[in-house]
Amino acid sequence: MELNKLERYWLIAVGVVLGAFTAATIVALLFFNIRLPSPVERIDPQRLEETEFARPGIRRLTGSRYEAYIVAKSWAFEVGPDAGTPPTLRFPAGSEVTFYVTSKDVMHGFQIEGHTANLELVPGQIARTTARFNRPGRYNIICNHYCGAGHHLMYATILVE
Amino acid sequence: MAAVSLPTTVEMPASPRTLQLVKRERLLVGAHLLTALFALMVGVFMGPFQAFHRSPAFIQYFPTIPVFTYYYQAVTAHGVMNALFFTTFFIIGFTYFVTERSLQRPLRFLPAAWVGFASMFIGLTMMLIVLLTEPQRSAVLFTFYPPYIAPATFYLGLVLLVVGSWIASAILFFTYRDWKREHPNERVPLAVFILVINFIVWDIATIGVAVEILFMLLPASLGLIQGVDPQLARTLFWFFGHPLVYFWLLPAYVSWYTMLPKQAGGRLFSEPLARVAFLLFLFFSVPVGVHHQFSDPGISASSKGIHTFLTFMVSLPSFMTAFNVGAALENAGRNNGAKGLFDWIWKQRWSDPVVAAQLFAMLSFIAGGFSGLINASSQLNATIHNTSWVPAHFHMTLGSAVTLTYISVVYWLLPAIRGRALFSKKLAVAQSATWFVGMVVFSASMGSAGLAGAPRRAITATAPYLTQEMAFWLNLTAVGGVILLVSSILLYVNIFGTLFLSRKPAPEGEVPITTRSGDTRSPLWFERWGFWLGIVALLILVGYGPVFAEALDVNGWIIQRYVPYINTPMR
Repeated sequence: MELNKLERYWLIAVGVVLGAFTAATIVALLFFNIRLPSPVERIDPQRLEETEFARPGIRRLTGSRYEAYIVAKSWAFEVGPDAGTPPTLRFPAGSEVTFYVTSKDVMHGFQIEGHTANLELVPGQIARTTARFNRPGRYNIICNHYCGAGHHLMYATILVE
Repeated sequence: MAAVSLPTTVEMPASPRTLQLVKRERLLVGAHLLTALFALMVGVFMGPFQAFHRSPAFIQYFPTIPVFTYYYQAVTAHGVMNALFFTTFFIIGFTYFVTERSLQRPLRFLPAAWVGFASMFIGLTMMLIVLLTEPQRSAVLFTFYPPYIAPATFYLGLVLLVVGSWIASAILFFTYRDWKREHPNERVPLAVFILVINFIVWDIATIGVAVEILFMLLPASLGLIQGVDPQLARTLFWFFGHPLVYFWLLPAYVSWYTMLPKQAGGRLFSEPLARVAFLLFLFFSVPVGVHHQFSDPGISASSKGIHTFLTFMVSLPSFMTAFNVGAALENAGRNNGAKGLFDWIWKQRWSDPVVAAQLFAMLSFIAGGFSGLINASSQLNATIHNTSWVPAHFHMTLGSAVTLTYISVVYWLLPAIRGRALFSKKLAVAQSATWFVGMVVFSASMGSAGLAGAPRRAITATAPYLTQEMAFWLNLTAVGGVILLVSSILLYVNIFGTLFLSRKPAPEGEVPITTRSGDTRSPLWFERWGFWLGIVALLILVGYGPVFAEALDVNGWIIQRYVPYINTPMR
């Protein structure tokens, strides 16, 4: 089976395109440090009060690093006591935050506007992602996975000061 | 081995290319085609109303939208009817017709085809009943992820659809095997080669969803088990869900590769290369499903990397298709008098709806294909996952490329079944053009809204997080919805016109079927399926072995079931 000359050129061009996409994913991983969620731990959604998720909210680590524990339920994000409406998380500009999020009931989603943080919240799983907040502003956390009649009302806010 | 016996009592058409269908064909293919068009009619008219529910400007002026009131009921009906029932009924009817005519022999186990049809039809009826009578409890969308559990009727409807499709696949395989025994040294016509691959992929893929429904969702719905593990269910669903898109695409490719060159007045560039492309589809269609789960917490990043790479591989045969079919169209354009480098693109039979619909389909597929590569790039996906970019993508692929190609088939096959000319060719061209324009407006604005952060499948019109940028694009989406509503009405005016009003007899012409492969270059071992299945099994093991090993590692508890809409646990 011989290949036509033009066909060969075309296949080379396709190889270059696909190679570029593959290279881009590797560059994104190694140089921009964009990592996909990986298994953290399983968790029983009926017994969150026995875990770190019993007290949702921010934990300050060293320097500008933080952890945030968030519980998603129909139809709100629990981000800690006195979080207000919409529930608001506050960080100083330049913070690097690792989010630990889990669902108490059904599937939810977790997407931070303008960032690459995008998680499926599968009941029974702890999801983890990290985001850097360099510029002050208001960034919404949007539930982007269908979770019932009140789905479109489910959100929280991150205030970077 | 007993000699293959041909049932001589079965009536065959005078010639494989005649537009005069024998009664048996008319009934069987007609039943599938008309049921498909009925499912599409239900599904397609749900579409624009969703766009209206997502547009803040529209909701402001029309606070109550007629036809249905619960948005998620419409999302569910739109997805289930268009993506599952319309496609499956159409594909099976089309497969039966193309197989019989190409191989010039009746289907093996012909009565079983009616058993399969009855199974799918009962499935469709059950699904419509549950969607209408239990709009809120059945609002699990067409991906039906647990812990939401729909009424059992919902799952039984799907089971009957899949069982019917398995019967169809067996009929195809046995008909092909009989032909092959009589023609051991011939290459099977390309159309049937593609369809055999399509149903092999389908049978493998549906194992995933069958396990999910029969062992998890249906028992949970009946109360036999208290719950399931949603992560495992999602993984089983996407084992099925991505090959599903090739199950839709490959019949469209049958039309592009084997029918469009004839319809457009050209010839296919390379048949051996076409066969290589479809073998690649066979290898890479299944072990790519995790690219729908890049944001899932329960799957390791390394598996996601493997599936990224395999997804890039499965784009290869579509790139090959662009060249091969593109060259066939260039050939057609030059036969129509094109002289320059690119004027062959315009010198096509744009006034023939069968050709025009497919040309619009291909234009859409360029945008659809590239947006697919973006989705498959694991990190880029993080910016668009679950945003309205995703439905924008699959409305360019499934909603335009595949659906417009199926409609092009309807424009020649429906008149042949009815024995009357198409009601209006001009209306049909207008329908294809408005569908294309509507989908481009819809998808461009849905995609832009997604980049701005608007989620898919949400009543965004009244969402508190809506930004001005999202609102602008979502309002434009509703404009796309209006154009598509007009196009859908044009489609059904033509269909009902052809069925009931057309008085002209069916036009002279031929069915665009190839009965003998003109290809003498591709090796005969291309049809050694046992060997190819070994490669498929190996790739699935590499792609999915680690994923299922992780997913099955449950800690002994299950996640309890919930009732959709009211969000309370099922007792």
